[in-house]
Amino acid sequence: MNHPREHDLALLAGGEAGPLRRLLLDRHVRNCAPCQEKIAAYCDLREDLGEIELPGSNWNEVNWNFLAADMRANIRLGLEAGACVRTARTPWRWKAPRLWKNPRPAIAFACVLIVTAAGELLRENKLRSPAVADSTPVLVTTDSGVEFRTGANSLTLLKHHGDVANQTVSARGDISERYIDDTGAVTINDVSLQ
Amino acid sequence: MFLCSKGVFAALTLAFAAALAAQETSLDVSKSVQIDLPPDAPLNLTSMTMGDSRATSRGGAIVLDLHMGLTLRNSGARHIRGVTLLITAQEFAPGGKGSVTRPSIDIPPGENFTLPVDIRLVRPVRETAGPMVRVRLDGVLFDDLSFYGPNKLDSQRALTFWEAEAQRDRAYFKQTLQAKGQTGLQSAMLASIAKGPERGQVNVALSRNGRAVGSVVPVTEHAEKFAALRLPDAPVETEEGWAAISGNEARSPQIEVLNRSGKAVRYVEIGWLVKDKEGNQFVAGTVPASDSAMVLPAGQRARLQQDTVLRFSRSGRPIEIESMTAYVSQVEFADGHVWVPSRQDLDSSPLLRVTAPSPEEQRLTEIYQRKGLAALVADLNRY
Repeated sequence: MNHPREHDLALLAGGEAGPLRRLLLDRHVRNCAPCQEKIAAYCDLREDLGEIELPGSNWNEVNWNFLAADMRANIRLGLEAGACVRTARTPWRWKAPRLWKNPRPAIAFACVLIVTAAGELLRENKLRSPAVADSTPVLVTTDSGVEFRTGANSLTLLKHHGDVANQTVSARGDISERYIDDTGAVTINDVSLQ
Repeated sequence: MFLCSKGVFAALTLAFAAALAAQETSLDVSKSVQIDLPPDAPLNLTSMTMGDSRATSRGGAIVLDLHMGLTLRNSGARHIRGVTLLITAQEFAPGGKGSVTRPSIDIPPGENFTLPVDIRLVRPVRETAGPMVRVRLDGVLFDDLSFYGPNKLDSQRALTFWEAEAQRDRAYFKQTLQAKGQTGLQSAMLASIAKGPERGQVNVALSRNGRAVGSVVPVTEHAEKFAALRLPDAPVETEEGWAAISGNEARSPQIEVLNRSGKAVRYVEIGWLVKDKEGNQFVAGTVPASDSAMVLPAGQRARLQQDTVLRFSRSGRPIEIESMTAYVSQVEFADGHVWVPSRQDLDSSPLLRVTAPSPEEQRLTEIYQRKGLAALVADLNRY
């Protein structure tokens, strides 16, 4: 059986262990006679220490071994806590994943991405009405210009990058976009469904 | 396990590299385009630049990026006011065609001008013969409003309306200059420029109303009526109309109009304004006459309807339609004369502040912004 460390028992005896640690220690100590004895000893020690009169008391009667153990436990605990804080304050640096050694996380991440993308695509298709099915010709305005799409084919009349465009949509089935070119002249691109 | 993973990864890397190499297969761009101008056309093609045009094969598709500059010469005897070129790629984008138009110009006989044509075509790889894109002349409008060309795109009407708007706006800015001087003209320019941000930009997806048989009509769909915005001088007025609305989708708009002029009308176009749930107003589009051979006698009514679906979004987010307004934006009489709203009409309602400026107003404000007031005055005095 693995017994708790000495300083943990000391902290438990003094009521200074954290809630989670106390829960784990209590669970062990309930079924472990040696640890119960140690706890009882720590409790006695605390009582004895409480009765010490400082200064002028008889120091020869103090159980130095137990006191030293308690102090060591507290010092070690302090050192561990300090190490935790230092780790937390260390600036975060990105480390390249070790794909060669363990590609599983990357594969899992890629799978999640694929599933998410597929879900979005399916959702998109579900929301769209039959009028805009992939094979149905459709005109759309994009950042590039006016685009005619049908199946895998598309025809786009491009506007010059960065030029201000005014668009006009005709319910008859065409979209036109007007922009100013480098010479200051107006050009109108129109794409039709017909 | 380690060796196995490493082997698989290396194989994937090699496959990816091979795929990348295959993507950049260059094709011959010059053979991709054919430009046809009729021999009797009042325009000659004097030169053509291809810029950084390229055609690449990427995986299973061919991507053709054309950035052409066509330099055309006015070989006729009259000033040219507008030109439309027809762009077709029927074999690769069946049902789709485009046009590139240069309105608001004044090209004297013998002078050159350059028209940019920027196209991107994407289609699956397959063996084809001949050019992928054809560029043809659809029409030329002259300063006396006469027209040359096959007019397959109805470009005569469009160029004539743009010319009518150009004449209206040039007259307005000239009058402003005469009445209020250069300071007044400057104020008018600044007011026009300030309208830009109010107009905003809306993304639209447009398709035929092909709802499949048996498909479910969204429970949110309802018939929304158009509010009528009557312009005092309009020869035709809107009476009633509606469209099926569901969220950001407007379907099958139809509007009844009354010809209150004394002349027969052969074309009417309705401007369509939409207000979203947040109260923002924007121009959704236009509803033109459905019948190209329409004749609407004086005092008679007609119904304009289009069987299309429009979806609106802004920055990728759907725009919920709250209400709609309709106004008459263009009328063509049977005798060929056209009517467009006057400047007073456009200023009569704050709703119309969101409408786009005419191409000519856009060009004039560009001259003012790029070259200053003196250049603008010189342009206004030119014709």
